[in-house]
Formats: sequence, structure tokens, C-alpha cells
Amino acid sequence: MKSVKTDELQIKRASDAALASLLNLTILPVISFIALLLIHRKTQADTIDHYHAVLGVKINVIAAVVLFLVSALMILLGGFDSPWTWVYVISYFTIVHTIFIVFALWALVRAWSGDRLWS
Amino acid sequence: MKYESQSIAKLYFIAAIGLFVGQILFGVILGLQYVIGDFLFPEIPFNVARMVHTNLLIVWLLFGFMGAAYFLVPEESERELYAPWLAKLMFWIFLVAGALTILGYLLVPYATLAEITMNDLLPTMGREFLEQPTITKIGIVVVLLAFIFNIGMTILTGRKTVITLVLLTGLVGLAVFFLFSFYNPHNLVLDKYFWWFVVHLWVEGVWELIMASLLAYVLIKVTGVDREVIEKWLYIIIAMALISGIIGTGHHFFWIGAPDYWQWLGSVFSALEPIPFFMMTLFAFNVVNKRRRDHPNKAATLWALGTAVMAFLGAGVWGFLHTLAPVNFYTHGTQITAAHGHMAFYGAYVMVVLTIISYSMPIMRGREAANARAQVVEMWSFWLMTVSMVFITLFLTGAGILQVYLQRYSEDPMSFMATQEKVEIFYWMREGAGLIFLIGLILYIISFFVKGEDVKMLGSSVSIEETS
Repeated sequence: MKSVKTDELQIKRASDAALASLLNLTILPVISFIALLLIHRKTQADTIDHYHAVLGVKINVIAAVVLFLVSALMILLGGFDSPWTWVYVISYFTIVHTIFIVFALWALVRAWSGDRLWS
Repeated sequence: MKYESQSIAKLYFIAAIGLFVGQILFGVILGLQYVIGDFLFPEIPFNVARMVHTNLLIVWLLFGFMGAAYFLVPEESERELYAPWLAKLMFWIFLVAGALTILGYLLVPYATLAEITMNDLLPTMGREFLEQPTITKIGIVVVLLAFIFNIGMTILTGRKTVITLVLLTGLVGLAVFFLFSFYNPHNLVLDKYFWWFVVHLWVEGVWELIMASLLAYVLIKVTGVDREVIEKWLYIIIAMALISGIIGTGHHFFWIGAPDYWQWLGSVFSALEPIPFFMMTLFAFNVVNKRRRDHPNKAATLWALGTAVMAFLGAGVWGFLHTLAPVNFYTHGTQITAAHGHMAFYGAYVMVVLTIISYSMPIMRGREAANARAQVVEMWSFWLMTVSMVFITLFLTGAGILQVYLQRYSEDPMSFMATQEKVEIFYWMREGAGLIFLIGLILYIISFFVKGEDVKMLGSSVSIEETS
């Protein structure tokens, strides 16, 4: 009985972590990331909630680098006043951001069922 | 197949695929005319090719929706179709009327077509997507009414499910909103209002109901997830679609002479419009993740998941990209709109029709799913069409951003045609992606004829009748 409750708690926490990750990528950046880090602190290694909290942190850190750093580099190298810079930055940012959102959505669904990303 | 009358869907699906091929061929011609202006001129002028491309899209999607309803409703209602003969009769009337209209566009100058179809008695021609002669529009209304009567009577006299009721609501909405195309006021702003009451309330309103119900039906079949779970999702999705979509019509009223408050209403409500598509992706991912059966029709599952993702991308993300009034001030009517239009129509409506065709065609041909080799070819066609559509969208987005910068944002703005020359490279790349899309479509058709061994449901003795 105790393990069932532990499992439920872990799945709930995993779902919260995946949701925080998704929110950070969409409508509630920064605050959701702080929430994600707080959830991460409550988890223990080798559990499903820990797995999803770590996954969420990784997705968001990689997204931040890939989106902001690469876009900043494009602006720096292409020049702020060049129309071509904005062609690349806007197209790139939109499609890559969406890919991260869809990825985080899949992670959320997997967390709901208490599964790792791929099994 | 549980009910014999479901097989009527096959007629509609074959016609839909045939017209889809026509639409893409004209799309490729159009794409080339963007860069070689006099290509096929004067035989097929740009404005005619464009009209044929968009009208064929609408007509084949309508064929697809009708076919889907004829397949789905008898099974959901647990009875034969109310009047199969009427469905067959309407098919031929719609096909002949549609073909004559397209031939009219191609063979006669548009003004002459208006004259010989007596448009002056009730003028309705000349508006984008609604270019059909008045007599064709009356024909569409007759076909739609007969179709809704047939489907409605089947539903009302049989088992009622959430899926059929949502579908029926969507179909009735489709017919009702089309009636606005008969009102053609002289005031241009009013004219745009009523035009959008057809176009917007179709694609960002009632068609979403049709799409959600078709997707829900296929997902129930291929995943075996409880109907109750799927129905709850369906309720929330359609509620969000209507809450955001109806007042979201306001995003079309920016900068056309409508009152300023539309800028707020249009921006706020259309910012909510990605939500139903977002939820549809979540819903599709969730039910596929929780699937309780390993359905042999992998291609249909792929199409269903692809529909959810691409609809979110095309209708949700690319719609949001240019929907806020301050952004739309610059992007209104540029290639960014074309980018959004292409991916939204493909992701939401083309793919959902292909999903139900993929699921139902093998059943109508007497097997659970197409053979493994045919499915591989079909999945190749899925990826070719989908990836090339992503690239078409990206190239048009690039063209649109450059267009906005050069033509509208720059301190020394260029003229429309001078700008078009500057974005030519994107049009060439779009044409290349369009050709790959065409190859994908050809593969899709080939997949129906690929022979191989039948595949069965793994670890189950479920027969075709039980699973369909």
C-alpha cells in the first residue's frame, strides 16, 4: 500500500515537473523554471519524478542556449539592420521553439503515465 | 465494415484524392508563375490558376468531410445510412457541378462566366475563395442540405454519441455560414465582414469541430482508449475552439476600415486560438501513449498524430505569429499570411481527411489495414508531403519577413513589384519544395496499389468487423 502511494506521489511530482517545463517554454517563463528547480530538489535519484525534473531542466537549458544564444549570434554576425538577419532569426526562432514545445508536450504525456521518455 | 452503406464513402474519397491532385498541379503551376510571370499565359493566367488552386482545395476537402461522415456516422449510430441513394445522387451532382465550375474558370473569361451564369440576378461572384458562380453556390447549398438531412436523420434515429453530435454541429455550421456568401453588400467593409463570416467561421470555427470529431473517432479505433476519456477531451477542445475562434474573427478586421475596438478584441481572442490546437496535440499524444491495442494500421496512427502536431504548428503557431494587431500592422496580406495558410490548411484539414481515408479505405476494401509494404509507401508519402510543407511554409515565411522589411518597415520603402523581385529566391525554393510535395502525393496514390501480405492485429483474434 505504501509503495502505491509513493508511486502516485512520484507520478504527480513527475507530472508537475513536466508541466513546469512546458510552462517555462510557453506562457510562464522564469517563474516556472524556478518551480521546476524546487520540484527537482524534492526528488531522489533513480525515481521517475527525478527523471522528469532533470529532463525538464535539460530541455529548458538547451532551449535557452539554442534559442537565445544562436539568435543573438545571428544578430551579431548578420547585423541588426540587415533584413536577412531577421529572415533567419524569426524563422529559426519560431520553428525551433515549436519543436521544443512539442517535445515538452510528449514529456508531459509520458510523465502522466509514469513513464520515461522512451521505453 | 459493419454497415454496407459505409462504402459510399469510397466514392467521395476517390473524388477527393483526384481533386487533391488537381489542386497540387495548379499549385506547382502557380509557384512557377511567381517566378516566370508569363508561364502558360494566356492559356492559364495567374488569377485563374490561383482561383482553381484554392477552389479545388475547398471542394476536395468538402468531399473528404462528406465521405468521412458517410463512413463514420452509420457505425457510430449503429444503423445503416438513412438514404444511401441520396448520398450517391448528391455525389454525382456535386462532382459534375464542381467539374463544370472548374472548367468554366479555365475555358471562359471570368466576366463571361458571370454573365452566362446570370450572376447579375443575384451577384455573389468575385470574392476570394467564393468565386463560384451563384448557380454553383445554390448547388452547393442543395447538396449540403441533402447531406445534412441524410446524416442528421441517421444520427437522430440511431445511437447518439458525442462524436456524431459534434460532427453534426460542425456540418450544420458549415452549411449555415456558407449562406453569408449570398449577401454581397456594396460597402467594402461590410462586404469583408460577411466574407469573413464564411471563410473565418469555417476554418477557425466549425471546421475545427469536424476535425476534432474525425480525429477522436480514428483515435478511438486505433488506440482502443475508452470513449469516455476521448469525449471529455473533445468537449474541452471544441469549447476552446469556439470561445477563441468566434470573436477571433476580429483579427481579419484590422486596417480595413472597421472600428478600432476590433484591434483589441481580435488580438486578445486570437491569441487564445492556438489553445485548442495545443490541446489537440496533447490529446492525441495522450491517447496514443495510453493505447490499449496495437492496431495494424500504423499509417493511420501516424497521420492522426501528424494532424495534431501540424495543425498546432500551422494554425496555432503560424497563426499567432502575425495575429496581434501591432504585428499585423506590418504583416497584413504579405507572404506571411500565405505561409500560415499553407501549413494551417495542410495540417488541420488535409491531414485529417487523409487520416480517415488511411483508416477507412483498407476496411472498405475488406481488410483491417493495408499490407505492410503499402503502409511503408504511405508513410514515405506522409513524410515527403509533411516535410516539404514545413519547407514551403519556412520559405514563404522568409519571403514574408523580407517583404515586410523592404516594403513596409524600411525608411525608404520599395514598391510591391520591386520587392517581389527581391524575394524571388524564396519563390524558387518554395517551387522545389512544392515539387517534392507532388512526389509525396504520387507516392500516396501508389500506396493504394502496392501488393503484399495482409497484416492482422497482433496477439488478437479480433475480426475486421469487430475492430471497424
